[in-house]
Amino acid sequence: MKINFPRHTVYTISFTIFLIIFAVWFAVGVLIPKGKDYRKNRTILLKEKADLQKYDDFYKKTLSIYNKKKSKNRYIIEALQDKFDPQRFVKEYQKHFIALSLSKVQYSGKTDIYDIYEVNTTSKIKSPTNFYNFLDAINKSQWLIEITFPINFTREGELIYSSFKMHVYKKSKDTNKTITKKEETPPS
Amino acid sequence: MYSYIKPTKKTPLTKDVFLIVTFFSISFFMLFSTYGFLLYKDYKFKKDIASFKQQQQELANNITNMKESIKIIEEDANFAQKIYTTNGVLKDSIDNLFDLVPDHITLSKAQILKNGLILYGITPNKEVYEYMLEAPLKSIFTKNYTSFFQLDNGWLQFVSTNYLDKNDEEYVDEN
Repeated sequence: MKINFPRHTVYTISFTIFLIIFAVWFAVGVLIPKGKDYRKNRTILLKEKADLQKYDDFYKKTLSIYNKKKSKNRYIIEALQDKFDPQRFVKEYQKHFIALSLSKVQYSGKTDIYDIYEVNTTSKIKSPTNFYNFLDAINKSQWLIEITFPINFTREGELIYSSFKMHVYKKSKDTNKTITKKEETPPS
Repeated sequence: MYSYIKPTKKTPLTKDVFLIVTFFSISFFMLFSTYGFLLYKDYKFKKDIASFKQQQQELANNITNMKESIKIIEEDANFAQKIYTTNGVLKDSIDNLFDLVPDHITLSKAQILKNGLILYGITPNKEVYEYMLEAPLKSIFTKNYTSFFQLDNGWLQFVSTNYLDKNDEEYVDEN
């Protein structure tokens, strides 16, 4: 028995089958792999986001420590960067002495990080108490100063003549650059 | 042959075709929309991941720099503390020195060295010096040398060299 389909119906069925095949191919061959990629990338994104959060938390914690340290040691940091001014020193510490004089400040070498400037100091005091007060004050100085041995005391009538050397420490220039550069990095 | 029925106009867009086209149009619209959504998300995810990684790198660099700065600040603080301690010890040494000298003995000169002490002065007699100054000096320093010179008024001038170190040559050099 021969069935005669109209031509139009044959075209329609063929077209429909083609569309079905295309739709299935598109869904299985393109959409599903893309969907898998989507899920994979979303997992990676969430992981990276969690990692970023960890970095951010650690950054905030480190920044807080950095700011605390910087604030606590502000005077030391400034002292190591300030240039030593003999006139200012004399003006500031004159009150502890009858007479105070400093010889020329000269570079006397360096440690790994710090430049050392040597200052010869001579003074006259009424009593050792003046010298104790001076030593107390020097630890609160705007410069980082170390009184070095030997210290000589000589009696001159009612007064005591003293002579000693001071080491003024200053951050080396190359180290200073490093610090400045690094301090710029963390946002305030 | 003649037909009395008026022929209907034939069109390829029959009701069946229209239904099929509508159905597939909606289906493809949904499929392509989903595909477009996935493409956009894929692009967005990749962009976000790259951005997150860059931010992580920047934070890591900042953390490294801050750690370095913290280390430098700590080194500076320790160094400064060491100097403050040295100055404090020096003050105590001078304080102790002047407390050590009794009223009977008058010092004319004192040299405080890193590991030693040289005193110049006058004493009414040797016994006063030995009991009131040398004894405490001996309890502090490991080696003690004293020279006496007779003065016209009967008093004795003395030079007392005291040190902690085994090697006393450096004190000779210091003088």
